[in-house]
Amino acid sequence: MNRTALYDSHIDLGAKMVEFGGYEMPIQYSNLKQEALAVRNNVGMFDVSHMGEFFVKGKDAAKFVDHLLTNDFLGAAELKAVYSPLCRENGTVVDDLIAYKISNEFVMICVNASNMQKDWDWIQSKQNGFDVDITNRSEDYSLIALQGPKSYEVLKSIDPELSDIDYYSLQIKEDGNLPLIYARTGYTGEDGFEIFASHQQIMALWSKLLSADVTPCGLGSRDVLRLEVGYPLYGQEINDELTPLDAGLKWTVKMDKADFIGKEALSELKAKFVNLKLVLDKGIPRTGYEVVDSEDNIMGEITSGSMSVVLGKGVAMARMNKEKYNSKSDLYINIRGRKYKAEKHKGPFVMGGHK
Amino acid sequence: MSNIPENLFYTEDHEWILIEDDVATIGITDFAQSSLGDIVFVELPEAETSFDEGDSFGVVESIKSVSDLYTPLSGSIVEKNEEVEETPEKLNEDAFGSWLVKLKMSDSSQAEKLLNAESYKAFCENNA
Repeated sequence: MNRTALYDSHIDLGAKMVEFGGYEMPIQYSNLKQEALAVRNNVGMFDVSHMGEFFVKGKDAAKFVDHLLTNDFLGAAELKAVYSPLCRENGTVVDDLIAYKISNEFVMICVNASNMQKDWDWIQSKQNGFDVDITNRSEDYSLIALQGPKSYEVLKSIDPELSDIDYYSLQIKEDGNLPLIYARTGYTGEDGFEIFASHQQIMALWSKLLSADVTPCGLGSRDVLRLEVGYPLYGQEINDELTPLDAGLKWTVKMDKADFIGKEALSELKAKFVNLKLVLDKGIPRTGYEVVDSEDNIMGEITSGSMSVVLGKGVAMARMNKEKYNSKSDLYINIRGRKYKAEKHKGPFVMGGHK
Repeated sequence: MSNIPENLFYTEDHEWILIEDDVATIGITDFAQSSLGDIVFVELPEAETSFDEGDSFGVVESIKSVSDLYTPLSGSIVEKNEEVEETPEKLNEDAFGSWLVKLKMSDSSQAEKLLNAESYKAFCENNA
């Protein structure tokens, strides 16, 4: 199994390690709740070096990436980032990712670890006719996600050259073969930075952040944090069988932009599912639990569920089958054969404080 | 190593058992609550429910995990601790003071297979 450059530090910090996307990753250090609350109220950091990074360079770099993505990438300014699904011709989602426009001739794509090889094969197979050179730099980059309201303050104290860039913007620190990238992005809903740099640079930064009392946080708290703000996770809310419309990501499909892979299918297809956010007064919803009506008819299933550390209640995202779901029905979650009442929730469960 | 009271029996699933005549009081150990982290939900069986040795009689949930509770003894439930269902964090605060269920044993010879404090302590040290 692969290890990130920060593996030894995780072990020193007493992290509980699990396999994720082919890597041994910290699921939690000492206390998941304290880790999550550190991010909401102060500052925490995650080793997410398992994620994949591809470089797309060349005259057609931005144009090629725009062709791959359902969201508008050509329209983004230089030093901006864009979240988007990557779709097949039939509209199903290969992965969801963030594309970073370092310049019109240099784009970095950051993908989910568990989909890295699939994405790499897919993107390579689509480059004919574009003047681009694509390289897989996943082995070269380490990645820290620094998240929480004090992220800027603490990172600025370590690197005085850091700029107070906007949300979904970038600052390129060293324009070498492997640029150091500060991106004001993240997966927690809070302000923060994702920092892409060489293994050596990341190990040094991680130590400095630890010395600055930044709380190391595991993937367990990361999953609760992203669920609280309603962000989807590939493999749960999104998968190979679903289109962005099925997964509640219609806002990322820009039908008015030039041709892109999947456009024709997505212009004709209708969503097969309705995506809901649910809150329970009692009981904790978990992935795979059935959502039923008062007569026990199965209308959908939980795609992600947990106890919210902020609300102290069970929260979930649910995928409801459009043919079976009646929006007027009372909703219950079947938890080990008992029915627990669920209420629909509009918007994120927790309002993150990002810019 | 967390404290392990001498007067109790234990299982390799990190449960403690207090035997008084033919009634077994069952809880989870300090080791169990500490590995689970913040316990946020407990589901226990109603009185008079019967279980065979090895059956799941309830669950404890932390923020991210669901763990089954297994009874090491056959019998029927006399009483469940409703206070723990209402305030699951009591298990984190005082695992040995927060019993889960009282079970009337149908075969008290099963109790002979339980671990004593010394054996349980050794088990924890070997599996830490």
